Amino acid sequence: MDSPAANAAFAKQIGIKFPLLSDMNGKMLKSYGILKGYDIENDTYEWALRANIVIDKQGIIQLIDEGDGAVDPNTALSMCTTLHKKGAAK
Amino acid sequence: MKRTVALGLLLAAAIAAPPLARQVHKSQVARMTLKVGDPAPDFTLLTDGWKTVKLSEFRGKKNVFLAVYVLAFTDG
Repeated sequence: MDSPAANAAFAKQIGIKFPLLSDMNGKMLKSYGILKGYDIENDTYEWALRANIVIDKQGIIQLIDEGDGAVDPNTALSMCTTLHKKGAAK
Repeated sequence: MKRTVALGLLLAAAIAAPPLARQVHKSQVARMTLKVGDPAPDFTLLTDGWKTVKLSEFRGKKNVFLAVYVLAFTDG
């Protein structure tokens, strides 16, 4: 897992304006079922699936894109816009 | 969109590249255990400034867009 220091360097390099988070112990990835394990020879190697997840203000999952489906962020962004409009209408 | 917080999650495995298929004896295909409509499990993660962020901090305040991104700064 990437360390906060590695993320900070990357964020600075490409000018990211949102928080980059590290799951150093893989706890969140495991609880979300995103960590994938491969047994190679006699060892198991784990890394995360690519995923986009949108969670609304009530803490309910509204969208999950995983694997190849997560490469294009537009579906997730549309969900964010929809949620924002819903929130504004209230 | 202003009220939507985007959280980028940079996650890299300890190894630099996925294994070649012929080397993989057995793979455990990960399936997301969660589905749309489920309550999102709370988590605590480290920001690039070494501060902790909890999902529950955004409850009732902001929608959260979580992008899980592996090896973002490589060609992989």
